[in-house]
Amino acid sequence: MQMLTRTIQGFDCMASRLVLRRSLVVSLLCAAACLVVWPAPAETAGFRVIVNSENPVSTANGNFVADAFLKKVNEWSDGLGLEPVDQRTNSETRRAFSLAVLGRSVAAVRTYWQQRVFSGRGVPPPELDGDVEVVRYVGAHRGAIGYVSEAANLDGVKVLTIH
Amino acid sequence: MSKLLSWIGAATLALCVCREDPAYAQESPAPLVDIHGFVSQGFIKSTDHNYLGKSERGSFEFTEVGLNVTKELGHNLRTGVQLFARDLGTIGNLKPQFDWFYLDYRFFDWLGLRAGRTKLPFGLFNEVNDIDSARVPILLPQSLYPVQNRDYLLAQNGVELYGNVPLGAAGALEYRAYGGTIFLDTSAQPIIVSLDIPYVAGGRLMWSTPLRGLEVGGSLQALRLDVEYLFPQPLVAAAQAGGSVPSTFDGHLKAKMPVVLWVGSALYQSGDLLLAAEYSRWRAHIESSVPELLPEVTENERLYGMASYRVNDWFWPGAYYSLFFPDIVQTREDRAHQQHDLAATARFDLTENWLVKLEGHYMWGTAVLSSAENGGISLDKLNRSWGVFLAKTTAYF
Repeated sequence: MQMLTRTIQGFDCMASRLVLRRSLVVSLLCAAACLVVWPAPAETAGFRVIVNSENPVSTANGNFVADAFLKKVNEWSDGLGLEPVDQRTNSETRRAFSLAVLGRSVAAVRTYWQQRVFSGRGVPPPELDGDVEVVRYVGAHRGAIGYVSEAANLDGVKVLTIH
Repeated sequence: MSKLLSWIGAATLALCVCREDPAYAQESPAPLVDIHGFVSQGFIKSTDHNYLGKSERGSFEFTEVGLNVTKELGHNLRTGVQLFARDLGTIGNLKPQFDWFYLDYRFFDWLGLRAGRTKLPFGLFNEVNDIDSARVPILLPQSLYPVQNRDYLLAQNGVELYGNVPLGAAGALEYRAYGGTIFLDTSAQPIIVSLDIPYVAGGRLMWSTPLRGLEVGGSLQALRLDVEYLFPQPLVAAAQAGGSVPSTFDGHLKAKMPVVLWVGSALYQSGDLLLAAEYSRWRAHIESSVPELLPEVTENERLYGMASYRVNDWFWPGAYYSLFFPDIVQTREDRAHQQHDLAATARFDLTENWLVKLEGHYMWGTAVLSSAENGGISLDKLNRSWGVFLAKTTAYF
């Protein structure tokens, strides 16, 4: 009889644990679904993404921009070669861009490039000194894409809206 | 001689790649040739047993050096070469070798072709197993990325197809598929008369999920090792006396070993946080001329979970738990058939190009140890609980 009681208690305990676990799993799935269904818009506070003024593209998906800077995509939709250009690693603009668009810190992105460089998978985009150099470069290259601070003079380039 | 040939090869490539499309060179702010390199020096100290060399007394035989040259010859064509040398206990002895070399032509973002000696995409970190600056731990989880097996697992000579396929709201797929062979230098292992790998083929598929920073995927690899051993007569006589081989055994052993390896991987990166977990099995069917010496089937199980978080610009701690069962067909039970490894690392980035790491391991089990490095004592007689401490500094550019 005692054995039967213990067995029933055991099942009871297991059942309540299962219910708890199920609730936890459901909660986690809901949270994950929220993240998937309502992705946060790419915050662009602290920087602007710029392209050449002749580039027909005016808006782009945040994932596309991230993949362009990580060189996972290498062409615009019309087949024109993408030419991403970074700012120096100590730049506040780069810090803001990296977190908002790439979803990683500048240090994590540097690690990504270490992995690519030393395994023969590619080299990082060139780094330029600041806004003036980036605007000049993007203005001179039709396939170029860069980012500058909000205060930068944007003559010869246009802002790419990220959605 | 091989050292000289290696450097001549690198210099030749550097000269060749400088002769390129002048229009492209003028337009690009990138350097004419990308040159990168690293130098690592480590120290390893273990308690109770020797692990990766004579570590019980403390060993500085823990060195890696690499130098690569890469050149983009336009938007679609790239070529490169890396020289690498290392010393880790009895492995490497600073003999320089071509780590990788390739020419890479990308037709589209979703289709590219690489030919040459390319690193094997197996799991999340196989390609950076010897690149200290590209990760937090000094030793990657040894269940999946054993440094002793680097020569077998690191690179192949052949071709590779690769690409990135956007899936819209569903994320993106990144694939790589390869086929070729593996060249192994067995000159340092006198009992191996010949070793041939007629084929290696495999691939990796990674899905960048809609949850930003989360990637999941899997890798599969198949290869066959055709090996011929010649055991020294005293060892043969001892084995015959112990009854483990037939009295007709003359020391020659031929074996064909088709091996299949797979790994499932999950990686989450957000801001300065990295979480990774992988599970893997490696299975070999062995056809041997002396079946008493080698099992017909062997299968092992490997897994780990790892986390790291960059606290600030210079401090980057990390930890992992790694588990390895070398022969699950036989048993998972005794100390010689399991290896638990709990590791903690502190990475200090002193400058943008110089880092120092400290790492401690609590080990339970003896499966990753070698009897030969531990006085010939059988693994099931060695202490099951032991520790490893490592320090390493790396400069890179």
